[in-house]
Amino acid sequence: MTPTDERELLLRRVRSAVGKHGAEAGGAAPAEGARNPLAEDERLDLFERMFLSAGGVIFRGPMEKVMSDLGEILRTEGVAALFFPEDDASAREIAEALVPFGPFHLTTGAEVRGGSPAVTAGFRSAEAGIAETGTVVETSAGGRTLLPGLLADVHVSLLPASSVVERMDEALAALAAGPPRNISFLSGPSKSADIEQTLAVGAHGPRKVIVLLV
Amino acid sequence: MEPGAKAFPRNARKALSDPALQAALGRTTGRFLDHRAAAVAAFPEFEATRERASAIKLEALSRLDVHLSRFIEEAEKRGAVVHVAKGPVQARGIAAQIAREEGVALAVKSKSMVSEEISFNAALAEAGLEVVESDLGEFILQLAGEPPSHIIAPAVHKSRAEISELFSRRLGAPPTDSIPELVAIARRHLREKFLSAGMGVSGANFLVADTGSVVLVTNEGNGRMGTILPRVHLAVAGIEKVIPRMADLPAFLRLLPRSASGQILSSYVSILTGTRQAGDAEGPERMHILLVDCGRSAILEGKYREVLKCIRCGACLNSCPVYQSVGGHAYGWVYSGPIGAVLTPLLIGLSEAAPLPDASTLCGACAEVCPVKIPLPDFLLELRADAREQGLKTPGEIAGMKGYAGVMKRAGLLEAVERIAGVLVQFFTKGKPVEGLPHPFSGWTERRDFPAVAIRPFRKLWKARRGVRE
Amino acid sequence: MPYTTGMDPKGPIPVSLFFTCLADAFSPGVGFATVKVLERFGAEVRVPLSQTCCGQPAYNSGNRKEARAMARKFLLSFPGEGYIVTPSGSCAAMVRHGYPVLFRDEPRTLALAHAVGERIYELSQFLVDVLGVTDPKSDFRGKVTYHDSCHLRRGLGVVEAPRKLLRAVPGVEFVEMEEADRCCGFGGVFSIKYPQISCRMTERKIERILATGASYVTSGDLGCLMNIGGMLSRQGYPVKAIHLAEILAGESSGAPAAAGSPGEGRS
Repeated sequence: MTPTDERELLLRRVRSAVGKHGAEAGGAAPAEGARNPLAEDERLDLFERMFLSAGGVIFRGPMEKVMSDLGEILRTEGVAALFFPEDDASAREIAEALVPFGPFHLTTGAEVRGGSPAVTAGFRSAEAGIAETGTVVETSAGGRTLLPGLLADVHVSLLPASSVVERMDEALAALAAGPPRNISFLSGPSKSADIEQTLAVGAHGPRKVIVLLV
Repeated sequence: MEPGAKAFPRNARKALSDPALQAALGRTTGRFLDHRAAAVAAFPEFEATRERASAIKLEALSRLDVHLSRFIEEAEKRGAVVHVAKGPVQARGIAAQIAREEGVALAVKSKSMVSEEISFNAALAEAGLEVVESDLGEFILQLAGEPPSHIIAPAVHKSRAEISELFSRRLGAPPTDSIPELVAIARRHLREKFLSAGMGVSGANFLVADTGSVVLVTNEGNGRMGTILPRVHLAVAGIEKVIPRMADLPAFLRLLPRSASGQILSSYVSILTGTRQAGDAEGPERMHILLVDCGRSAILEGKYREVLKCIRCGACLNSCPVYQSVGGHAYGWVYSGPIGAVLTPLLIGLSEAAPLPDASTLCGACAEVCPVKIPLPDFLLELRADAREQGLKTPGEIAGMKGYAGVMKRAGLLEAVERIAGVLVQFFTKGKPVEGLPHPFSGWTERRDFPAVAIRPFRKLWKARRGVRE
Repeated sequence: MPYTTGMDPKGPIPVSLFFTCLADAFSPGVGFATVKVLERFGAEVRVPLSQTCCGQPAYNSGNRKEARAMARKFLLSFPGEGYIVTPSGSCAAMVRHGYPVLFRDEPRTLALAHAVGERIYELSQFLVDVLGVTDPKSDFRGKVTYHDSCHLRRGLGVVEAPRKLLRAVPGVEFVEMEEADRCCGFGGVFSIKYPQISCRMTERKIERILATGASYVTSGDLGCLMNIGGMLSRQGYPVKAIHLAEILAGESSGAPAAAGSPGEGRS
C-alpha cells in the first residue's frame, strides 16, 4: 500500500463517518464578537501587568537607568557572556552598552549552540507583543535566529512599544498569510512543576525573561 | 499496578492503600483546581470562549475530511511530508521507517499522548534508535520505566526523594532534596541531547488547516527546542486535532492553559509551519507529520463524536473525585479520569475496558470544568447502556435489575415487598441501622451502616392518615 | 422559565407529591415533612399512590430496558396538569433529563416525558423559584451545614435555594462546609460496585462536615444522606444527617437522635 492510498483511504473513512451525521452536524462557528480596542497606554499597561504576572521582568523608561538596573540583574544571575544575532543592530547596541556594567564578555550564537558552559544572556528584537497574555512574539521570518530566547540562561527581548497589540488574534492575523517556519510565543521563563507541583524555572530554556519596552 | 483497563478494580484498591500516591494526588489535584478556579474567575470571557471553542471543534469535526485535506495540502506546500496511519501497527512502522530513512540515531521527544497510544518509543527502540523523553515529568518516568499518570503532570505520583534516588542511580548525579537542583540536573543532561539529536519528535496540540501548521503548547520549552535544533522534526498527531483556521487558535490558547494549570498562557506556544525556509538561521531541514487514526474515524461516525473535541487539558481529571482517589495508573491505559473512562473503551473496545465507565458517581464535576463542553457524564451513561447491549454485564446485575423493575411495576407489589423486608430487617436489627449487608452489597457496609427499612412505609402511613382503604 | 399550570392564580396550588422510593422505604418522615411544608405555603397536595420509583438506579447502571419500564410507569402515575414536587434533586433530574434520553426513539412518549419533565421540581427549588418563599416559617433549632447533592446542583442548577431557606430559619445557625459541592461518594450503583473508592470520598466529606462543628448535615437527596449518615453512625460521630424537608418542616428539632436513622415511621 503506498502512502497516497493510505491517505485516500483515511479521507474516505472520515468522509463516510462525517456523512452519517448529516443535518445535525456543526455549521461554521460564530466569529469573535466586536470589541472596543484599548488606548495605547492602556494596552502597554496591560502588557506590563500580564508579563509580570507570567513571571517576567519588564523595563520601561529612560535607557541610562535601564542599563545599570539590567546590568545588576545580569550580575545577580551570574551571567558571564552576552550574545545577540549578527544582523540585529538594536540587540548588538544594548549588549555592547552593557559590557561596562559587569564582568561580561560578548560571545556568538555558534558558541552557545556548541554547548558553551558559560552562563549566558541572549539579546534579540521581538516582532510583536501581545497585551492580553503578556507575550513576546519572536519568529524565524527574514532568516532571524531564535537562539537568544531558546538556549540562553537569561533572555532579553527588545520590544518596540508600537508593535504591542491587544489580542492574540491581531498578532496571528499579521502572520497567517505567509507564516514563517517558527512562530514562538514567549510568556515568562521556562518552567516546570513536574516535581511535587513545585514551580522551578529554567527547565530547558531561559530562567529569566526580561523585556525592554523601547 | 497491573496494565490494562480491565484491572481497574484491583488497581484502584491498591492505589487507595498507597500513602505516597494519596499524598501526591491530594497535593496536585487540589492545586490545579484552585489555580484553575482563580484563572477562570479572573477571565469574564471564559463562558463565551468555551461556547466558541466547542462550536469550532464541532465545525471541524463535521467537515473533518475537508479540513484534513486542506491541512495536508498546506503542510506539504510548505515542505512537510504527511504520513497517515490507520492503526498503531502502521504508525509504529511508519515512525521506524522515517527514522531509518533519515539516518537518525538519537531522537528527543516532547510529550505526546497519542505516542503513548501507539507505543511509539518501543517502535523506535526496535529500529535501533535512542529516544529521550525531554518533558521533565516524562523524562523521570522514562528513567523509572513507568507510564505517565496524568495528562499534564505525568509524574505527579513521584516524590522528590524518589526522583533524587532515580537520578543518582541512572545519571550518576549526587543525591539532593532540592527541587531546583533536580531540575538543573535534568536540564544539563537533556541540553546535551538536544544539541546532538538528529530528530525532534513532538505531538501536536492543534493542527491548523488553513496554514498547515503544527501548534505546540509547553511550559518547559522542550517542545520548542526539539523542533528548532535537530535536523528532522517528526510531529505525531491524532486526526481530530485539526482546527479550520489560524484565526480559531486564540480561543483554544485562552482556554487550554487556564483549564490545565490556571495559567493565562503557557510559557511557550510554538506555531510550526513546514520546513526551514531558504535563508532561515535554523529549523529542521525535514519535517514529517504522522496523522494517526487509531479508532478516531470510527468514533467520528457514532454518538460519541463530541469526545473528539477534547484538547487534553486534564481539568476533568483534577475535578474528578474518583481520579483524586485512585490516580491515573489505576485506569490501566493511556488516558485516565473521566476522559479516560470514556475514551479508552472507545479506542480499545468496551470489552477491554468495561470497568471504567462504571468508575464514576456521575457527579458532573468533569462536565462543569470541560473547556470544550464534552458531555462526559452522558457518555458514561451511554457506555453503560452499550455494556448491557454488548452482553458485558454480569448475569447477577441483570437479574437484579429485572427483579427490581418487576417489583416497581406495581405499587401493591412494592408495598408487599417493603412489608416483608421491613419485618425481616426489624427482626434482625431491632430498629438499628444495618451493619452488614449480604453479597454483592457487602462492600457498602464495610465502613458504613445502611438504614433499616421502615416497618411502615410512607405509602401505608399516608393511606392510614388520609383514611384511604387498602 | 417556571412551568405554569394554567389554573386560577388565586386558588390553591395543585401539587402532586413524588415521595420517592427511598423516602417510602427508609424515611417516611421525609415524605410527611415535604407535605407539611408544601401545605404551609398554600399547596393542595395530592399523593398519587400508584407511583413507585423513577427508574434511576436502572438508568444509571445502563439497564435501559428496565429503566424505560419504570419511567413509563412514572409517566402514567403523574397524568394531567399541576406541579410535581419531590424531596429529591436526583429523582427530579432523572425525570427532566434522563427520560428524554430513554425515549429519544419514541416520539409520543418523548413528548409526554418533556411535558412531565417541565412540571417536576425539587422541593427547595419549588419553594423559592415558584412560590417565592423567603421565610420557611420553621422552628427548627441547631447548627446546620449543607451538602450539595450533585444532581440537585449540577443536574438542576439549584445552588442558592436551599441555602436561602436554611439561612431564613431563625433557629438555624447555618455554616458552609469546605467543598460543599464535592460528591459524597454515593453514586447509587457506584457505591456497591466500588465501595472502597466510594468510602474514600465519603471520608473526605465527613472530615469537611466535622470541621464545621455542626450538629446536623442536611441535603436535598436521601441517597447522599443515607451514605453520609451511614458513615457518621458507624464511626459514632455526634452529627445527624437530616433531610432539608425535615428542617423546613421544623421536625426532629432538638438534640441529635441516634445518627444514621433519618426520619420517622419506624415504630
